[in-house]
Amino acid sequence: MSTVIDMKGDRQRLIDEAETTDMALFVRTSDESMLDWDRQRIVDALVRETYVDYDTAREIAREVEELITTSKIRMITAPLIRELVDAKLIERGLEQARRMHTRLGMPLFDVDQLILHPNKENANVPHGPEATNLTLAERIKKEYALLSVFSEEIADAHMRGDLHLHDLGFVDRPYCSGQSLEFIKRFGLSLPNSIAMAKPAKHPEVLLAHMVKFAAALQSHFAGAIGWDSVNLFFAPYVVGMSDRDLEQLAQMMIFEFSQQAVARGGQAIFTDLNLYWEVPKHFEDVPAIGPGGEATGKTYSEYTNEAQRFARALFDVYQDGDGSGRPFFFPKPLVHITEKFFKTPGHMDFLNHICDVASEKGNTYFVFDRGETAKISECCRLSFKLDQTDLEDARQPWKMRYCALQNVSLNLPRIAYLAKGEDTRLFSRITEVIEMAVKAHLEKKLFIERLLALGEKGPLALLAMDRDGAPYLRMHRASFLIGMVGLNELVQIHTGQEMHQSKQAFKFGLKVIAHMKLLVDKFGERYRMHFVLEQTPAESTAYRFAKLDLKYHSPKSGHIVKGDISRGEVYYTNSTHLNNSAVLNPIERVRQEGLFHPLIEAGALTHIWLGEARPSKASLANFVIKTFQLTQNDQIAFSPEFTTCNACNRTSRGLRTSCIYCGSEDVDGITRITGYFTKLSSWNKGKIGELRNRYRNQGFLQEKKEEGMALEVG
Amino acid sequence: MGSVKIFTKAKCPKCPAAKEMAKTLKREGVHVLNYDLDTVDGLAEASFYSILSTPSIIIEDEEEKEMASWRGVVPTLQEVKERLFKSAP
Repeated sequence: MSTVIDMKGDRQRLIDEAETTDMALFVRTSDESMLDWDRQRIVDALVRETYVDYDTAREIAREVEELITTSKIRMITAPLIRELVDAKLIERGLEQARRMHTRLGMPLFDVDQLILHPNKENANVPHGPEATNLTLAERIKKEYALLSVFSEEIADAHMRGDLHLHDLGFVDRPYCSGQSLEFIKRFGLSLPNSIAMAKPAKHPEVLLAHMVKFAAALQSHFAGAIGWDSVNLFFAPYVVGMSDRDLEQLAQMMIFEFSQQAVARGGQAIFTDLNLYWEVPKHFEDVPAIGPGGEATGKTYSEYTNEAQRFARALFDVYQDGDGSGRPFFFPKPLVHITEKFFKTPGHMDFLNHICDVASEKGNTYFVFDRGETAKISECCRLSFKLDQTDLEDARQPWKMRYCALQNVSLNLPRIAYLAKGEDTRLFSRITEVIEMAVKAHLEKKLFIERLLALGEKGPLALLAMDRDGAPYLRMHRASFLIGMVGLNELVQIHTGQEMHQSKQAFKFGLKVIAHMKLLVDKFGERYRMHFVLEQTPAESTAYRFAKLDLKYHSPKSGHIVKGDISRGEVYYTNSTHLNNSAVLNPIERVRQEGLFHPLIEAGALTHIWLGEARPSKASLANFVIKTFQLTQNDQIAFSPEFTTCNACNRTSRGLRTSCIYCGSEDVDGITRITGYFTKLSSWNKGKIGELRNRYRNQGFLQEKKEEGMALEVG
Repeated sequence: MGSVKIFTKAKCPKCPAAKEMAKTLKREGVHVLNYDLDTVDGLAEASFYSILSTPSIIIEDEEEKEMASWRGVVPTLQEVKERLFKSAP
């Protein structure tokens, strides 16, 4: 958008004219035409955009004009005029009018930097023209959100770093979502504003094409992850009679399609989760299956167990091979649900060994533990929803099972501890205040999204407003509102003098903080009849941002608390409720201890096991997974190996290295999990690099006990 | 002799029986700690012991090591006493 007003040098002589509407100045406008200077434009803008009365607007316009005419400026810009007008508004004490009259945008220098250098706020955004467009748009929407969507109190709390409003650049969309393939199987691909409508797929490849296109459309309407429920089961009616070779081909197509979607929004791969089951989940057992053409097959899903299992196995065969360079696929992420029924389903040990083999070799597998009668759908890095009775009734018509989290707000817990100065009462009442602010932020975002949705299929969120089954695609009454946390470990450290892994007392204090938060969000949920839930925020950049801000506002104390290397600027807070990454704990103990927080964190939690170069046996990992299910409360675990991939010879080796072990080239990239996904180290922010240096790798522990099985001591 | 930790909630049909047992044990000089899961301290303590249902009862030795537990059920007073006195040094 061109917004420059040129004041030609040879026309400066005219500045003495009393009426500058007569000044022959050329104004380069945003619609790329040249207009003469016209003071009335200032008046019109003030009247149109603010509540300022006409006379005051004229007065301000005249004063600004006078300022310009008496100055020696050779070229003025539209932002400058606006700033001069804003200064006049401030002089008159018209603060609200100034806010309303604000111009959104970026300094020239920043745009220059942005075009030349990659954005490291999200490692899943590559560097290129599309990514630049994405970042530019995000910056403006972020400013818009802080000025117009959220109240001053909430915006200021975000700016100060008391809390973090995630994905402000996507303020006009919900946060993340969970989908059912049954929707496109039943209704085909019929999207608002689309130039062609496709009937329900008759062939598996077409169903896959619909899934990928729908995912891309959804990516344009959600800020974060798109999760798909029971993918192998819902594909099953389409793969009946397929040969192993054809099935593997289909699995390959699915994984490559999602992993190579880096041509969509901002060149960003779609953050995709595939939820997979070895068994037929109990709530789908007697549900009539939908098959080719969107027709009922006359069978129930329990009759497709074999096809679903074959497809799940084929997907993991592909994950095991990795991409063309032997690297792990970054997306789509496979989440295998481990349930009571899993262990009763024939063939489960073979399958468990297979997915553990992949976990050890490539790290892809996420193990999601659904204990007891709980059924869950996972969406984001670690976000999952436990299905309640209403959801289980919806399971009879699975296309209705579409969910979303509207927003995610994370709290800066260490900040609260700095302010509490060791006093319990102050600490807990401050936590209450900040949660109240987070709730207010959710109410404000909800109001804004409802305004957009009210415009229906003609509005900006047409896809989410579309009605194909008697209800809008986005079921607002089923939306969740996430409240995350960063740096529980540091809060405890500041308040008690010990980190959570250092004493039972410190650990219990951490539990007390999260219990307090849990009871509060439940109370607010009852008050507003909204589903507020705690979540372990992935906080890829937030843990870095909070640490930097606290170094600024709470020094020197914060200098002793933040993790990482201050001299390099690689600072961070420990994520969510995790124990210190560098603590030397055996993985079993970490999984057990971190898992004690998980029942309090309803929207999902995860424990990382950093493998480094270790490559434990599949039997060892399988044993670990079983014990985690049986003896802990941990919600989800993932094993993360590290790799070096060579850009010269296209080969991949284990461990992080500065040069390729095959050809010696130094043109290499490191790969490992940043938060809930794999990516290249070159795209990581400084905070995450600091964390990577500190991560305690479980190099030997998982290998030494091999087939004997590991003792998992609890208590 | 160790201590007994009893975890209850306000709206829980079996909890009154557990609370009654706690009173009896207290009268007999047993060190009993009551935790209400609707409170911060109660919920935090319950989380530490992975208690997901109420009422639950845990017997600990003097070093706070778990000796016995009943989760979501109310044992008989006799059962509790047997385990409690068995754990005594």
